[in-house]
Amino acid sequence: MKKLIEHFDDYPMIDTDRHNYRRYRMGRLKHQIWLYNRKRDTIVLDTHDQFLLDNINQGRTCIFGSAGYYLENVVPDLTVVEQWPIVKKFYPKVQIIKHRSDIAKNNGAVFDNFIVVNNRGDLLCELEGISEHIDSYIKAMKPGCLFFYSFRDTQVMNWNRLTTDHYKYFYDFGLQIQKAFGLNLIYHDIQFAKKYKDGEGNYDIWENPDTSNGNIKFVFEFKSNTKKIAKK
Amino acid sequence: MLTKQIKIVEPFGLYKWAKNFKRIQDRFYQNKYKLRRIQQVEDFINLNGFRKIYHIEEVKLDLELDRTMFTEDIKSSDLVLVTHQGYSRYPCVGIIEQINKWLDDCPDLYLCLNRHYLNIDNQKIDLDLPADYQQAITAWLKKSLDGCFVVDMSRNYIDYGQNFTWSLPDRHYYIGRR
Repeated sequence: MKKLIEHFDDYPMIDTDRHNYRRYRMGRLKHQIWLYNRKRDTIVLDTHDQFLLDNINQGRTCIFGSAGYYLENVVPDLTVVEQWPIVKKFYPKVQIIKHRSDIAKNNGAVFDNFIVVNNRGDLLCELEGISEHIDSYIKAMKPGCLFFYSFRDTQVMNWNRLTTDHYKYFYDFGLQIQKAFGLNLIYHDIQFAKKYKDGEGNYDIWENPDTSNGNIKFVFEFKSNTKKIAKK
Repeated sequence: MLTKQIKIVEPFGLYKWAKNFKRIQDRFYQNKYKLRRIQQVEDFINLNGFRKIYHIEEVKLDLELDRTMFTEDIKSSDLVLVTHQGYSRYPCVGIIEQINKWLDDCPDLYLCLNRHYLNIDNQKIDLDLPADYQQAITAWLKKSLDGCFVVDMSRNYIDYGQNFTWSLPDRHYYIGRR
């Protein structure tokens, strides 16, 4: 009988480029957009990408952990930062970092926009963990920087989904971030699935809206509150 | 910079691997190991003498059970085994309704739920439930399923996404009518 496994760390995973690419790709859905667009004459983007393009400041943009190279041809002065060294193999311009604090160490507080779209590496932790990540991100932001942060509720861990008002839980989190880090919450879009029976009395089995970008979307403005966000 | 035209579409499903997710995760370890929860399911079936399994599956689990033990007809089954995570994304009232429908067709149910999907539509649940989420899931099932026994066969741990939950859901329940 095979040995039994319960947790990722029970036994060592293989460590090959092929394996690392596969794991990276499984957690970075927008990589699929990059694969699709690089071979075509038309760039396909989704409405959240359009939302980003409509609202980013002029200047330098950092996109972290989001396979952000898919925006290379549409966002000027783009810095793509990832934590998986495998990305360097197919996108040599990427900055590979070990710790989030390296973003500011490597670049300084230079960015006019900071984007994180459904970064699996940011999630699979509690909200406190996300706060710690954000504490590192703000150190790379200039005053006035727009911080676009979106994620999925189903990948935030260790909260009671049966006794908690999900909307309040995540909206309050946005307010806490605002208070803790000098980030003014200037836009939020928090959506959950709506479930109705079909004609046969069954419900659909789909997830919350927008599994690609996340069903919880925030935009913050760092140390100022002047920007008006154009809604979708 | 931009030489190509841009076409804007609604966000679309970029997730391609659902059915093969477990097989992909197995390859992380060169297929050397077996997920303990899969062994638990197989042992439950074998040790309790179930012989006609109606399996509702999404992610391919490759259960090491004789194919003749499975049936396509729920009404002739002696155990309904639900590992399909889609049911965890039903609203809570829908999950309870569905459990009752399964039990109308078969006396015994082995239900696997993914804790991260429950109450997907953010509905207020009018029950007094424990603060501990795992205990709350069990209490919700017990309080919602009149006339049923509910046995929680899950392990007690906080999941930080490293327990193969999306290969085989983490909360395991044996449910039947009293």
